[in-house]
Amino acid sequence: MIQGRPAGLLIVLVLGLCFLLTAPRAAPAYIAQKPNELARQVHLISSDATGEKWTRFTHLSKAAPLAASLLQDENPAAAPQGSLLAFFQRMADSSWSTGLHESRYAYDLIESVHVWALCLFFGLAVMFDFRLLNWTMRSVPVSEVARRLLPWTVVGFVIMVISGALLFSAIPLRSYQNIFFRAKMIMLLLAGVNVWIFHSGVYRRVATWDVKTAPPKAARVAGALSIVLWVCIVLSGRMIAYNWFDCDRQPQRPIINFLTSCVPTASEH
Amino acid sequence: MSLLAFFQWCEQSGIGDTIRKSAWLFPLIEAIHLLGLGLIGGAVLVVDLRLLGLGLRRYSVAQLARDAQPWMIGSLLLMIATGGLLFLSEAIKCYYHGAFWFKMASLFLAIVFTFTLQRKVIKADGAGVSPRWSKVVALVSVALWSGVGIGGRWIGFS
Repeated sequence: MIQGRPAGLLIVLVLGLCFLLTAPRAAPAYIAQKPNELARQVHLISSDATGEKWTRFTHLSKAAPLAASLLQDENPAAAPQGSLLAFFQRMADSSWSTGLHESRYAYDLIESVHVWALCLFFGLAVMFDFRLLNWTMRSVPVSEVARRLLPWTVVGFVIMVISGALLFSAIPLRSYQNIFFRAKMIMLLLAGVNVWIFHSGVYRRVATWDVKTAPPKAARVAGALSIVLWVCIVLSGRMIAYNWFDCDRQPQRPIINFLTSCVPTASEH
Repeated sequence: MSLLAFFQWCEQSGIGDTIRKSAWLFPLIEAIHLLGLGLIGGAVLVVDLRLLGLGLRRYSVAQLARDAQPWMIGSLLLMIATGGLLFLSEAIKCYYHGAFWFKMASLFLAIVFTFTLQRKVIKADGAGVSPRWSKVVALVSVALWSGVGIGGRWIGFS
């Protein structure tokens, strides 16, 4: 839960991310016509179900010149011009992106910052939600908890967005077509809407239920929804690392390929 | 039994084996472990921010610590339970991974510090404790718990 102007900022950021994900009508599909070329970046990821992508990246970084040259050989024309896919393809081919995911420590460090900021953001946001549910700090007025703790969640959120964007830029194409990443972006939007509804609705009357009384139902619902959404966001964020539903693992159910905008080639059916 | 033999025994345990063989058990337990980390972060920060003179500074440290304590201990137990399961599934990797030992050392120090020195400062509730000392205690607490979280994340990197 974030108040006032920061809430607007949050919503704008989240809307922007969701727009990026949902806007293109031109070419939503990933056409893996030449899996050996186009999907090479995905192939960098460990196919071991319980292994993390990082395991393979580290392994590959020892052969970095080879991997880099392979990535540069990719055929950018394979993705429709002007599509988001082509955009992320170019991003994936950039030296920034390959440098980041092949680096020995940069990716790990950013990932650690992302996890650290999760404690700051998620931890304090959930403590505020617990207050709305009357589960903790009952003697402290809700408005006081909001005023003193929510600015810290804004700090945490900003760090999360920046580090998260960096992580995305290291593996843009795969992340874009990752089902958990897409679910996470949609739930971020819903969480933003929940924040907005809470602060423009029941929180305006906070003076009437600030202390010595259980928060009204609307506030409790907002708190519970916030907890559920952020928990699901953390869970799906963690799952982005696993490649169960990745485009290069065919056959997948048609619904999965639809949700990840994958179009497997005939040979992969 | 040497330490390595014990770790090998853990790795070969039925639980560890079950987790290793499943495609989704490890990710699921790991994700719950991560939620526990976020929660303990919140409970610890409410108290530490207050000790730093930030956060809910108009309210008593002792009261806030009492309110946050059930969540802190609850999430700590959740983390130890899920962390134990994760450990059983990859004990040998942990044995040879510096981050694991760094994390265990941080965890040990964080728990000892929280339940001894920090608890004393919190109970005093500002009486006879200089603000500067309170801040030092809060910073040490944040540093130790950060070590636990970041060390844990680093176990996943090879």
